[in-house]
Amino acid sequence: MTLSRRAWGGVVGVFLVGMAAVQLAPFYVALTVSTKPRTDLSSRWLPPMDGIYWDNFARAIERGQMLTAVKNSVIVTLLATILVVVLGALAAYPLARRRTRLNKLVFLAFLGSLMIPPLSVLVPIYTLMNRIDGVNTYWGIVAIMVSGQLPLAIFLYASFIQTIPISLEEAALVDGANRFQIFFRIVLPLLKPVTATVVILAGVFIWNDYQMSLYMLTTSDMRTIAPAIGAFFSQQSSNLGAAAAASLIGLAPILVAYLFLQRYFMKGMIAGAEKG
Amino acid sequence: MSINLFYVPALLVFVALTVYPLISGFQMSFTNWDGYSAARSFVGLENYARLLQDTTFRQVLANTVVYGVGSTLIQQVLGLALALALDRPMRGRGVLRAIVYLPVLVSPVIMGTMYYLLLQYNNGALNDLVGLVGAGPFAWLSSANGSVAIIVLVNSLQFVGLSMIIYLAGLQSIPEMYYEAASLDGARGRQLFAHITLPLLRPAIATSVILNLIGGLKLFDIIKVLTNGGPGYSTNSVSTFIGVTYFDAQSAGYASAMGIVLFVMIMATTLALNGLLNRRRLDS
Amino acid sequence: MRTRTTALAAITALALAGCSSGTGDSATSAPDDAATTEVEALSGALEFMTGTSIDSELYLAYEDITEAFESANPDVSIELVPSSTDHEGEVKTRLASGNTPDLWMTHGWSLLRYSEFLMPLTDELWAKDVNPALDPAMRDGDGAIYALPLDVDVAGLLYNADVLASVGVTPEDIRTWEDFTAACDEITAAGKTAIYTAGKDRWPTGLFVDWIAPGAYDEAALGTQADGTLVPESYQVALDKVAQFRDSGYFNPDYTSATSDDISLALAQGDTGFSFLMNFVAVTAYTYNPDANVGFMPIPSASGGDPYLVVGEKNAIGISSTTESPDAARAYLAFLAQPDNGSVLAKASGSAPGLTTATSDLGALQASHDAWVGKVPSVPYFDRVYMPNGAWDTIVSTTEGVLTNQMSVSDAMAKVATDFDSLTAQAQS
Repeated sequence: MTLSRRAWGGVVGVFLVGMAAVQLAPFYVALTVSTKPRTDLSSRWLPPMDGIYWDNFARAIERGQMLTAVKNSVIVTLLATILVVVLGALAAYPLARRRTRLNKLVFLAFLGSLMIPPLSVLVPIYTLMNRIDGVNTYWGIVAIMVSGQLPLAIFLYASFIQTIPISLEEAALVDGANRFQIFFRIVLPLLKPVTATVVILAGVFIWNDYQMSLYMLTTSDMRTIAPAIGAFFSQQSSNLGAAAAASLIGLAPILVAYLFLQRYFMKGMIAGAEKG
Repeated sequence: MSINLFYVPALLVFVALTVYPLISGFQMSFTNWDGYSAARSFVGLENYARLLQDTTFRQVLANTVVYGVGSTLIQQVLGLALALALDRPMRGRGVLRAIVYLPVLVSPVIMGTMYYLLLQYNNGALNDLVGLVGAGPFAWLSSANGSVAIIVLVNSLQFVGLSMIIYLAGLQSIPEMYYEAASLDGARGRQLFAHITLPLLRPAIATSVILNLIGGLKLFDIIKVLTNGGPGYSTNSVSTFIGVTYFDAQSAGYASAMGIVLFVMIMATTLALNGLLNRRRLDS
Repeated sequence: MRTRTTALAAITALALAGCSSGTGDSATSAPDDAATTEVEALSGALEFMTGTSIDSELYLAYEDITEAFESANPDVSIELVPSSTDHEGEVKTRLASGNTPDLWMTHGWSLLRYSEFLMPLTDELWAKDVNPALDPAMRDGDGAIYALPLDVDVAGLLYNADVLASVGVTPEDIRTWEDFTAACDEITAAGKTAIYTAGKDRWPTGLFVDWIAPGAYDEAALGTQADGTLVPESYQVALDKVAQFRDSGYFNPDYTSATSDDISLALAQGDTGFSFLMNFVAVTAYTYNPDANVGFMPIPSASGGDPYLVVGEKNAIGISSTTESPDAARAYLAFLAQPDNGSVLAKASGSAPGLTTATSDLGALQASHDAWVGKVPSVPYFDRVYMPNGAWDTIVSTTEGVLTNQMSVSDAMAKVATDFDSLTAQAQS
């Protein structure tokens, strides 16, 4: 191809602007729908002509109890993500460093479970949780979220650990440190970048979980964001405006968190990808 | 004491909340349970026999593969293109990256609903747009193949940001001197890309492919919100079809058998992939 | 606030059932008893799966009335649970796991699907006031009833009168399916959708069978089928009609992706002449366009009989047979059943009341209601009475197969027959 540098730059520019427009369109439409009353059937591209209709947001906050839902999501996401990081890093270390037949098997089992469709295990999990009084509790949903995200965390940590030169650990071993000291003093500090990746990946999944939370958290003081938004839909009536408003409210906290963590996320991905 | 103790806590969670439910589902797959009542009887392998002849299940399985592989392909191409474009310094780079990544932060059920506002026939934003040039209105989600394609596209667009970030990270880890050295040897744009960028991106490709494949094969919420599996059963994935069979058709036993078959297939794929990756690791 | 006053009135009227430890025996005879008789105060925590979305009129009414009940019975607390679009899946998961909610909305299935989990309520004071139209759907052979119906789902063909008028048709003109298809041809020729239906919700398509089939069966055929033998030639009439509608191009182009909400929108905007759906869809249509002209009319009979309406259970509430606070739960239902509360709830659901003691204001649908209800015959939901439990999914998928031309009528019939037999066998095992 003999496109000049300048023309090529133009093509790239059009591509980027086009992609940005495509990615923003659904959010823009959600915004106009959330700021118009139900009876306003004007095009969804048009902003509200008669002033912003705040009622949808009021409904989302009062009826949908979105603020409680945001609080619950923050608690569940924080607890579950911390546990995913701790348990994941711990588990990955022996699986990456001691490749015995048993450990290979354990690793594969974790990997295989990455793709189990949640619905096929819903009833047994719910039954178990009910038996141990975990329904409508933070610890119940946290346990389920942890089990859902652990395999991915273990996979990411294990791939990362395999790329750390073993010589450091061998040196420490010679110096008389035991395996536990080696893990906590030497390996753990090196895991910072991949931890950022795990935190953001697992955190976003947990924050957005719909299927399990819907069944596990049914009371209004326990509901997290996605099921709280789901409560605006039923087979007989749906309030798209209020649901759109609730969605935008639910998006705000994670967006802020992402913007703060973005830099670390990139670093983590670099480290992970470089060696992965 | 062995350091294997380190994975005991994770293993406990795993056994309680993954292995136990799977075994439970395995037992259920030999019954004709309706999913809620107390009555159930043992029917042996009947559900599995039925599965072999169920043409709907075959179609649903094929859809699942299309969702997994299709989304993965689109996301790699688009994600890499975005990463290449947004790797070089330019104004607005940070904002553009954030915009492309934005949908990743949204729950798929919400993302699907937002796209539904675009794709709806009546008052849908897309039909308003094509109406401006006098076309349409189109029923975007009316044909089976078209709907499958739209679902793949929506899922790809939602998670293309993830691939982009992974590739950006990969690109930034390639030392500049490789390019300099190759340039001195007379290599040009496309050669540089083929002989340096792509091979050195291999780890990034692996990470991205695995994440996208998992997401695509497990696809559930977006299908539910956009087509709910229709027309007929033609856009169901195995996940959504299990839901329909379990709750709507009141055949929990049969649905469990589907879950088990899917699990076995995924396990086999994982083993095969793992073998492949291991061999490559030995090669390199 | 709209319903505050009702709630206050409700508190004063509370003596009726609230304080009589649930049985309500002495309550109606002597409302003052509560003050004089020392009865054990009700207590307990109840969970109620309402099956309705969190900002629906009905949910708001539940909240107000429940608050009034709680303030009169301080030791009872009631947790209202809104539903998502999958109320049925949520209920079934709870039943399967043994974590049964104390009360739940039975969505048409109090008798056939849930009665094994529900407490018989036949002896409750309100039970004698249940609208007799609900008897075929809600009472078993012995007259036992398992849920409190708040409303009656009376349904026919929904229409937009303005669209019909634009092609010179009035609802009264349509007595037979030939009349109906003639009107549809006119509407189609005028460039509008004749019949709007929704495939994405999965259930509306099945209503073609519920609406058309009753007119295709005679008494003997209904009896045969109720006893567990399919009468294919009668059933097939419904599918033949759907195929005919399809070939005539009556259906909306966005069939696959449309929801019941889209039907409401189409009715509100005058984009369609007819829809085979329940009245709540018309109620929603009025929320989009208060000036719409939407009503319902009886369904023509395929065998040439009188046009009829379909009547069934809609918002009905059952009590778990294993609840830990049966007295509180029964007192709560009795409270909901009080005439003022029953009226508020029926109005909020946009339907006729389920108890004869309550009244309802149907708003814009009142005219249709007055014109037809009680004047034309009514039939129960066909699938609930004459098809085996679990057949709904088959009904929907086969009708949809025909509607979208992915299945021939004979293939669809073959699947109906197979599933009919296996589900009947499953039910008898």
